[in-house]
Amino acid sequence: MTARRLLTRGNIGLALLVVVLLAMPNLASAFFVNFVLTQTMMLGVAAATIVFLARYGGMVSLAQFLLVGVAGFMFGNAAVEGGARGLNLGMNPWLAVVFAIVITTAVAFVLGALASRTTGLYFLMLTLVYAVIGFFVFAQIVELSGPGGITSIQRPDLMGPPVRLYYAGLVLSVLVYLGFKALGRATFGLTLQGVRDDPIRMASLGYNVPMHRTLAFTLAGFVAGLSGVLHVWWNGQIDPASIAIGPSLILLIMAVIGGISYFEGAWLGAFVYVLAFTYLRDLPLIDQIGITEARFNTVIGAVVLLIMVLSPEGLAGIAARVWRRVNKPASAAPTAPAGGPSSAA
Amino acid sequence: MTQTTPAPAVPAIADPVIQVRSVVVAFGGLLALKGIDLDVTRGERLAILGPNGAGKTTLFNVIAGDITPTDGTVAIKGRDCTFLPSRHRPRLGMARTYQKARSFDGLTIRENIYLALAGHRGRHWPLWRSPVDRRLDEEATEVAESVWLGDHLDTAAGELAHGQKRQLELGMAIATQPDVMLLDEPASGLSRGERERLVELLDSLAGEVTLLLIEHDMEVAFSLSQRVVVMADGAMVTAGTPEQIQSDPDVHEIYLGVEASS
Amino acid sequence: MTGLRRRATFALSLATGLALLTAGCGGDGDDTAGLPAEENVDEPADAGDDGDDGDEEAPDASTGDDSTVRLGILGQCEGPFGGFHEDVVGGTALAMVNHAGATVNSTTSALDGFSGAEVAGTPIELVGIGCGDDTPDRILQEVRRLVEQLDANVIIGPLSGDEGLAIAEYAKANPELTVLAGISGSQEQTLHVQAPNYFRFYGDGAIWNAGLGDILHNQEGWDTVAVIADDYSFGHTSAGGFIADFCAVGGDVTHRVFPPLGTTDYSSYIAQLPDPDEVDGYFWAVGGTGTQASLEAFVNAKGDLTGDQHAGNLFFNPDLAQALGTDIAGAYIGGFATLPGDVQTPAIEEYLASADDTWETLPGSLSGNEPAPPSVAAAFGFFYGYYTAGVALVEGLAAVDGDISDKDALHAAIGGLTLELPYGDISLDENRSGIVDVGLSQLAVNDDGEIVQETVAIVPGVDQTFGGTFSPDTPSPSRDFPECEERDLPWEGNAIPVVDGVPQQ
Repeated sequence: MTARRLLTRGNIGLALLVVVLLAMPNLASAFFVNFVLTQTMMLGVAAATIVFLARYGGMVSLAQFLLVGVAGFMFGNAAVEGGARGLNLGMNPWLAVVFAIVITTAVAFVLGALASRTTGLYFLMLTLVYAVIGFFVFAQIVELSGPGGITSIQRPDLMGPPVRLYYAGLVLSVLVYLGFKALGRATFGLTLQGVRDDPIRMASLGYNVPMHRTLAFTLAGFVAGLSGVLHVWWNGQIDPASIAIGPSLILLIMAVIGGISYFEGAWLGAFVYVLAFTYLRDLPLIDQIGITEARFNTVIGAVVLLIMVLSPEGLAGIAARVWRRVNKPASAAPTAPAGGPSSAA
Repeated sequence: MTQTTPAPAVPAIADPVIQVRSVVVAFGGLLALKGIDLDVTRGERLAILGPNGAGKTTLFNVIAGDITPTDGTVAIKGRDCTFLPSRHRPRLGMARTYQKARSFDGLTIRENIYLALAGHRGRHWPLWRSPVDRRLDEEATEVAESVWLGDHLDTAAGELAHGQKRQLELGMAIATQPDVMLLDEPASGLSRGERERLVELLDSLAGEVTLLLIEHDMEVAFSLSQRVVVMADGAMVTAGTPEQIQSDPDVHEIYLGVEASS
Repeated sequence: MTGLRRRATFALSLATGLALLTAGCGGDGDDTAGLPAEENVDEPADAGDDGDDGDEEAPDASTGDDSTVRLGILGQCEGPFGGFHEDVVGGTALAMVNHAGATVNSTTSALDGFSGAEVAGTPIELVGIGCGDDTPDRILQEVRRLVEQLDANVIIGPLSGDEGLAIAEYAKANPELTVLAGISGSQEQTLHVQAPNYFRFYGDGAIWNAGLGDILHNQEGWDTVAVIADDYSFGHTSAGGFIADFCAVGGDVTHRVFPPLGTTDYSSYIAQLPDPDEVDGYFWAVGGTGTQASLEAFVNAKGDLTGDQHAGNLFFNPDLAQALGTDIAGAYIGGFATLPGDVQTPAIEEYLASADDTWETLPGSLSGNEPAPPSVAAAFGFFYGYYTAGVALVEGLAAVDGDISDKDALHAAIGGLTLELPYGDISLDENRSGIVDVGLSQLAVNDDGEIVQETVAIVPGVDQTFGGTFSPDTPSPSRDFPECEERDLPWEGNAIPVVDGVPQQ
């Protein structure tokens, strides 16, 4: 890997974007950074696991937010001491992070193994069932949570100032983005794409297809768990409603808005969603045309529909199309969807 | 006309590479295979002929492990493989192609062949690239060149022409240097020039490679095989050398006649 | 790739459809906690955020400017209580009108806010109305928007129990903020969290059943009771209050049954209850659509309901008679903030009249979000709870002479208030939770042969500890807490009887 190869337009764009994002706390209001951007980073990582499974594995999962929640619940159970609910293990917070991630990854392994022989619509429905069951597990098992959830979850002292949470989210996002991109060219990424394209052929080449699907789901669960730990640090509490079917669908919608076959789309979709959620109602006269907070879901639904009609590949797909058109004369670029590097700006 | 019992006597061979015994496959009420016996010796080149629906591909799928037979046994190199899933075949030195080309359309030609190589070597899980991958890529390049795809290494398989896909299919099969190859209609849809290259390529394989071939094209089948088995309606009708088969009136009636009129 | 696209596109279209369906349904199907009113989110139009429109570039001013009270109200415009959005905002607005000289911006909707509120020279400006959906996560996002984006320094709300817990924690982490809880009913938000800047001039979910034990055990002669309640925090808390009360005066709870929320077939839970000849009575804390379904299941399994053997919390209302017949007359019912309409005192009449003077109509939840006289909404606990919080803010400001720069002084002043309010005085305990009067009522047959709710007693000075059953060291009410123990209750024997709507004081 030479320096020349690293200097693609995409990489330069990404580097510039990261520099701008690193400088954001000095440029924008605290609310914009700590609320809008921090959420974008956390939800973007979670949505990226959906993109990972869909793009490389051909599996559209509705269970990713459940895994975000499992990590949150497990961190809460492990770290909180003397709380009203949960196990109250009172661990060192960093040990609790390890505990949460290990449990989440194990849960993802089991769920992935159970789903490993299904594809397409059946996989989607099965993961929907996971999300529903997950809600009831935490709502009913009072030892783990109960309906009231785990509250008063403190983040480690190192993460005390909210802006550090933003930086943590940013670092995690960059790592996850680059990691998932690089994985696409590594053996496991290639085998997974092979499983996506033709599982029977993969089996005849000697691959254990269900195990590949299982481990892909496990890896996605691990990453979703990291996002979940950040999320519970940011939110300070988690309850069964946090992982109900609504939030699970919203995460998928973020991936769709952004473009489910583009990793950039995960963060782009999360950003657009959080932006719309936060600022749409502040637009002048917006309530005059019937768009109020109560109708927010309807608006988001309409936006998704519009995007699906205009570009089934989401906003990142639109950006990539524009990018290709602009660059057409200049480059004989590979046809792989490299994505619009500037798309998340 | 067709017999339900296997008519052709199977000559007792020492050390068969593939040993199929009384294999029955039923899809619901339909008997796709009605009790097949087949022995293939090491290094033998065997063509399987028969009209559409004769059960040729089903027999292949049983041998390759894609289908578990309803009854009967399959042994490969003396090992009972009746219930062994297909993914364990490459370790036994077996590779196959499919009638309808099954390549990974989202991946490049190099990556397709890389997967064949990595699958055979047991390199399935690494999360990052290493020097091993570079060596595998080089091998994949060589294989691609040997099937005349060296100029298209970075082309996605989904964008290949039909003939090129068959070449890739073959490349993925020979990449692992198997000693048993199952080729399901490798020449179908190829131009005359491409067929000649195909025959040339298969001829160039080492002598100890056992070759099983389903082929509609008589020319390809007879020029490549030492022995021909004719199937019809899920059963074996006859077997013999290409010359014997060409002159067998039964075969003409059930297969060649059908073929000629279609 | 094409294969993936096709599959993924199909799957996503399906998911989008699901999402739209969810959006279309609003919160109707979601019966996390039905209170008496029908849940309907159709109408909360025109939420008016006065002030900063999309002003995202605003520099951090959250610690600056202490000359103005920037008030944010936390309601719910979605979810099971979405229909009460108008009601709760109206409650606070009326407090501003009655006590801080404000005028409302619209005479047909409370959501347009108010202007001109001022106490001791300090203006009160409504900067935003938060739109919750009954989940703690959402209300946390809403409060952060109000405080961190719109610079609110005082929050009134939230509405439900789990939300209250989350907001109390938020208040604890943001000591500069002042929060006056609305009607949020969980115990822990005050009893456990104990944030010095979080005040609730209102009762928790348990105390509304205080006094029922005294009546049922000492007056009606019940010694044993079976309890059936929704299996979630409000069900546990409401049942916990009854159990604490009934056991404290010497009764015994023999059975506790907790059907999950959203149960439609209650027969298996009814089967876990004892037969009518094995127990003196039953206490019901099943809400939403479950109230009627569970009682009907009881009739099917154990025979007719008789009012002298049943009691319930606030969900037990006269509408049940339509399906269950007039035999349920005689059943005792716990209270909820305000008194049934049969009690009219001059203070109550004045309060209701002030609501009618302020607006022409309000589309509150009790009128199905259709325009109705404002006093309909004002006479119900949701409106009233936000009214008490608003009054507390005004009186707290008055007590510090409008100076909100010293938060400790402001919080101390609010904590020491005793509010003289139409439905009884409210002061705070040491954890800043309300000590309130609870009105108990009974179902009765009126002259027309219809079942109506009649107030029978007012239990004064109820606090959330129930004589020590609940304390900062005890867990939250759950399936098996509190245990059944005899205790001294400060209000035992102090109930003020009410006869024909007149307290016999």
